[in-house]
Amino acid sequence: MKTLHLTVVLFKNWIRSRMGVFFSFLFPVVLLLIFGSVFGGGAGRYSIWVQNRDLENGSPSDLSIAFISAMENSGVFSIKMIPPSVEISSWVKEHIPSFTSYRVLVIPENFGKKAAEKGIKVRGMIILSSLDLIVETYGEYMDENNLRSIQEGKSALENWVTGITPEEATLILYVQEGDASAQVVSSAVQSIVQAFNNSLISAQSVIEVKFTTLSERTLKPADYYVPGYTAAFIMTNGVIGLTSNISEFRRNGILKRVAATPLSKKSWILANLITQVILAFLLTIIMIFLGRLIFGTSGTPDIFFICLVLLGATLFCAIGITMGGLIKDVEAASAAGNLVAFPMMFLSGAFWPIEIMPEILQTIAKCMPLYYFHQGLRQTLILGNPAGALTSFVVLGALSVVFVLLAVKITKWKEI
Amino acid sequence: MRRKVIEVRNLVKRYGNILALSGVSFDVYRGEIFTMVGPNGAGKTTTVEILECLRNPTSGNVKIFGMDIEGHEEEIKQRIGVLPQEFGTFERLTVEENIRFIAKIYERRVDVSNILQTLGLLEHRKRKFGELSGGMKRRVGIAMALASCPEIIFLDEPTTGLDPQARQELWQTIKNLRKKGMTIFLTTHYMEEVEALADRAALILNGKILITDSVRSLISKYGGGFRVSISEKRGIRILRKVGEKIVQQDGKTTAFFKSREDMLEAFLYLSRHGLKPEMKEPSMNEVFLNLAGGRINEHGELIQ
Repeated sequence: MKTLHLTVVLFKNWIRSRMGVFFSFLFPVVLLLIFGSVFGGGAGRYSIWVQNRDLENGSPSDLSIAFISAMENSGVFSIKMIPPSVEISSWVKEHIPSFTSYRVLVIPENFGKKAAEKGIKVRGMIILSSLDLIVETYGEYMDENNLRSIQEGKSALENWVTGITPEEATLILYVQEGDASAQVVSSAVQSIVQAFNNSLISAQSVIEVKFTTLSERTLKPADYYVPGYTAAFIMTNGVIGLTSNISEFRRNGILKRVAATPLSKKSWILANLITQVILAFLLTIIMIFLGRLIFGTSGTPDIFFICLVLLGATLFCAIGITMGGLIKDVEAASAAGNLVAFPMMFLSGAFWPIEIMPEILQTIAKCMPLYYFHQGLRQTLILGNPAGALTSFVVLGALSVVFVLLAVKITKWKEI
Repeated sequence: MRRKVIEVRNLVKRYGNILALSGVSFDVYRGEIFTMVGPNGAGKTTTVEILECLRNPTSGNVKIFGMDIEGHEEEIKQRIGVLPQEFGTFERLTVEENIRFIAKIYERRVDVSNILQTLGLLEHRKRKFGELSGGMKRRVGIAMALASCPEIIFLDEPTTGLDPQARQELWQTIKNLRKKGMTIFLTTHYMEEVEALADRAALILNGKILITDSVRSLISKYGGGFRVSISEKRGIRILRKVGEKIVQQDGKTTAFFKSREDMLEAFLYLSRHGLKPEMKEPSMNEVFLNLAGGRINEHGELIQ
């Protein structure tokens, strides 16, 4: 009962602190909204300038028109046209501010014609090699007349094909040096070119890549962010918030005032833990709610998820109480909290998959409790796979025990 | 015979190499205001915090309500009220919420509005603690100490850092508590506070108690007496006739008197005859000067 009274008081005192509420709730929400919108709302289109010089009697060739509309339909580009007559380097100087990234695709003169000629030659070559293959494989079963007429036709075709010498049909893509998006843009153009190459020789795709995931539901980027952000901010609330709170409680005499009552040290720690757990659940509810409402994230919290939130909140709260108890100076305590929390936040993969980081950083990430926390939350909430969160349960559980014991040991109820 | 509520015998407290308390002994009786007076660093707060079970003694015997403090911390804490030095509490809770918090912790049915009334906080009860003035904050601290219905209340330097007005008001509050039969243990470095409030006082210096006695007895024994001094020859002759005892020092003659009335009479007589006498009453300042060989300034520092 007494512990509950203290919890209510701690909670009231906290909820009335504008700074506390801002950093614990508003800040995470704002970050989720910003990052979720930047990375989660589907890829944006890359703007690209296109100059079509492939004109036949003053109007664009059929192939060039088809190519541009294929680019438009790919969903990757938003296309703006440059008049065919201008010279590209002076146009760029004139129209693109320096240090701004740009992409310009030039379809050269006679692109369609060259491509068609090349296509015919390639088709001929394919027919020749197909005939070779047929003769090689089935020649012994054919009667001699058939075989001879095939051989004659082949040499006639061979003569004709060798006679055609088309020029290469080349597209030119200008990008700014050091433009991070250049690679994506060039791959996208390549794949359209590939499709055209296939259709020019009437080939059908033999191999296709289909994007799919192993889970039944489709995952959105925000499905990664919601558990990641929830975990990260439960961590900061404990490691930054509580560390400085506990230090502050000592400085302004609250610790002594409470210690002078018959309340035990365990009640004090328990009340702080309960307060943080309540905050953690409030934050979790807000994050999941916003994720669903704005980004359409999936996932329903189950008992395993709830247990993990409880464990995580307990662990980071105990770390906060321990650090706040160790560091007497309030400013130093707050700095130490930041020092622990920020690297953990960015290196543990709470905000982005650790796979995109160098291997050494991946190893470091796996030494951080936050890694196991957000992984566990993702496994239980998004993937519905509590078995995958087993390591998280073990790591967070063991660390919680260690740090709660440490918090009890470090907190001074009676001066020596 | 008055009942002892606190018994301290040979209390020693050592911080590393520093001896904060070297064998302190005193008793506190039910219903009195007991004051521990001394400069900063003399060992006042160390003593109070040991009594409040917030600090472990190195050695010695301390009994509160006849119970040894060791092993009875919770029982003792249930029965005492505490205003810690440089008191602070939840800044964003109102005055009333802070007081109710303590009442709830002690699981006591307390008339909170009565406490608010007693301390003159009734009209401020909805204000946040963090917004209050220094004097008001101390009053909230005392209210919180009272919220446990204590038998003894410990006030560790309750008026330090307050302006004279706020100090006077707080003295009145403490006097009212005394009238209600509360036992009060108070530490201070203000001699005026001892004179204004205390029944008995212990003078503490460098972890040792110089003397413990009733304030009245201390002042009459060591307060320097009622005296009138004069340097004019005509005056000296008159003083020699009326004074109990005559002392000559620094070209001044001082006569001592039995009572304030005798002193006043001599002073007025000399003044009426166109002379310029000086008059001094015994005080705790003099007591401290005589026993400790120095005085304590406003900041609590000892000046030798």
